[in-house]
Amino acid sequence: MRGMARFIEPVRIIAVVLIALAIGFVITALVSKEPVQAYTALLTGPLPRISFENGFEIKNINRFGNWLEESTTLILLGLAVSIVFRARQFSLGAEGQMLLGALMTAIIALKLSLPFPAHMLLALATAMMIGFLWGLVPGLLKAYLSVDEIVSTLMLNVIALQLFDLLLFNWLRDPAAGFVGTAPFPTSAVLPLLIPGTRVSLMTVLMLIAVVVVWFLMARTPFGFELKMLGANRKFAEYGGINTKRVIALSMAASGILAGLAGAHLSMGLLKRLTINLSPGLGFEGIVVALLARNDPRWVLLAGLFYGYLRTGAQIMERSSDVTREVVLIIQAIIILLITAERLFPFVQEWVQALRGRREMAVEGG
Amino acid sequence: MSLEVVLQSIFSAAFIATVIRVATPLILPAMGGLLSELGGVINIALEGIMLAAAFTGVIVSGFAPQWFPGAPAWSYAWLGALAGVLVGMAMGWLIAFFHLELKTDIILTGLAMNILASGATVFLMFSFTGDKGSTSTLASARLPSLQIPFVNNIPVLGTLLNGENGTGYNVMSYLAFVLVAVIGVFLYRMPAGAHLRATGEMPDAAQSVGIDIRRVRYQALVASGFCAALGGLYLSMGYLSIFQANMTAGRGFIALAVIYLGNRNPVGALIAALIFGAASALGTRLGTMAIPPQIVEMIPPAVTIAALIIYNIRRRARINAAARRFQEQVEAGATAPASSS
Repeated sequence: MRGMARFIEPVRIIAVVLIALAIGFVITALVSKEPVQAYTALLTGPLPRISFENGFEIKNINRFGNWLEESTTLILLGLAVSIVFRARQFSLGAEGQMLLGALMTAIIALKLSLPFPAHMLLALATAMMIGFLWGLVPGLLKAYLSVDEIVSTLMLNVIALQLFDLLLFNWLRDPAAGFVGTAPFPTSAVLPLLIPGTRVSLMTVLMLIAVVVVWFLMARTPFGFELKMLGANRKFAEYGGINTKRVIALSMAASGILAGLAGAHLSMGLLKRLTINLSPGLGFEGIVVALLARNDPRWVLLAGLFYGYLRTGAQIMERSSDVTREVVLIIQAIIILLITAERLFPFVQEWVQALRGRREMAVEGG
Repeated sequence: MSLEVVLQSIFSAAFIATVIRVATPLILPAMGGLLSELGGVINIALEGIMLAAAFTGVIVSGFAPQWFPGAPAWSYAWLGALAGVLVGMAMGWLIAFFHLELKTDIILTGLAMNILASGATVFLMFSFTGDKGSTSTLASARLPSLQIPFVNNIPVLGTLLNGENGTGYNVMSYLAFVLVAVIGVFLYRMPAGAHLRATGEMPDAAQSVGIDIRRVRYQALVASGFCAALGGLYLSMGYLSIFQANMTAGRGFIALAVIYLGNRNPVGALIAALIFGAASALGTRLGTMAIPPQIVEMIPPAVTIAALIIYNIRRRARINAAARRFQEQVEAGATAPASSS
């Protein structure tokens, strides 16, 4: 029966995703004149087209690249969230940590002059470090002063955003640019490209390494065990001798490292500069990825790829039809709701049974 | 601009008027969040509910001429407001349903609602008006401002009572203050309010004396949706009559901070909201003095964190002191001669 239970969970998640996609299709059909075409673009857009007309050729590689780029950011954020959520610490600070990570890379890239690998590596290292620190603060506050992490991380997000804007407007801004942003980063501080024609960079490789590292951390180290115990029951973990205060603080700090790296991806990999409105709530989308993956790093990889696929598909759908890409947000919300509904299937069962019972009574009575 | 001029502009009736105007969309959702938080079901979807209500109000009042051809022109705004409030209450109900019946996690449910509102408003805005950024092409209605007669000629009082340009504060601002009073009375003077607080503080004890905590929580979440909707309606129908994508700009989350900074009671939340409003208003005024507005905007969140820290330190000190006193009592009782058995 245990094997059966492990099998049910992925099936449930896939079922929920299919239901959400179906509802999304219904919504699309209600507002679009060409729903099938729109939804096809959504579901198949990001795939590269392989043609054999002039020999082996791959077209639309940039769309495929978009998929990988989006997924890389989302997987890093998903990993960040999965660490804290596994310990049942509701730190929502990924957004702020990401912004500060990007800010740090801009400072290193634009204010220092170093040769290639050193410059880039320093930028990455400082991004991870500032993410660590910005995660450590609410971690310590929660661990030693019982300050609720939801409020503290939300407030730190606000402070991080203000700090970002402050330094961008007053120190890092490029007056020559036509918009509010920095000058482009020097090539010594930019992530090297992996797939020509796209913006897929070294960060994708780093992301894969991060998945393995986080998996190893959670599954094979004492810290991972402590995280799991803390998430299951804090008092029990303390009774078992775990220093829960240290674990709480470190879990949020570790999460910050990954969020900072995600910020570095945005600034050094995708945009190669800094702009305002760097992230439209990506930190929260990381929560969806972690949720879909049930906080397991291996599933975070798949969930991030799936989610990046949806987002890229939605952008393509928007360009090629009359449906806006926000429909993907609606699908996202439905997925979250249905997946966290622990009692969803029993509820549906009871409802069906009640209907059947009423029908039987009607038959008997009539 | 010199320091003198800036200080003069701060300590003025116009500044207070600005603060009231800016704090209103914080007070209203904070009241809603307060009700749900005291009931034990924190509602982090205040942001999404505000957004959804703001959008609904604009759309309904803008299309009211077509949808309700017989209605008089002055009713469009109120129809929009009614629709917005209903949407807010429905979202509150949905959160309650998913959390209480289907056992979803309350934080994730609120998050889903925020994402849903963010996506659905832009999606529908595009469907209704063909514009993804704002409803500038739609002629939606404004909620009226209440002007107090006769005082406009009095120098300071006029600005204080009737706002910066003498046309009066919006009805929603008055409603916000009234709501604080009403909720204060409800929480601390009415049995239903005591039940709500009991449900949040000690649900098992409350249940054992017969309080239906499930119903109380449903009502708390629906009420929080109502209040948050009022806040959203103020944004899109108070002084402007337009909806812009993501126009709430994090106010729903600031409202959560307001609740905690105000120590989870209505008057405290009101003061905290005014503090946040003052920081915003201050930011623009200090901006002319080469103090970056971002620094000023950082002050309220930092103050919130500091307040939480101080609150927790004091709470811990109080608990430790009480524990020590109890320990001393036990020891004193133990050294007293034992009663003969």
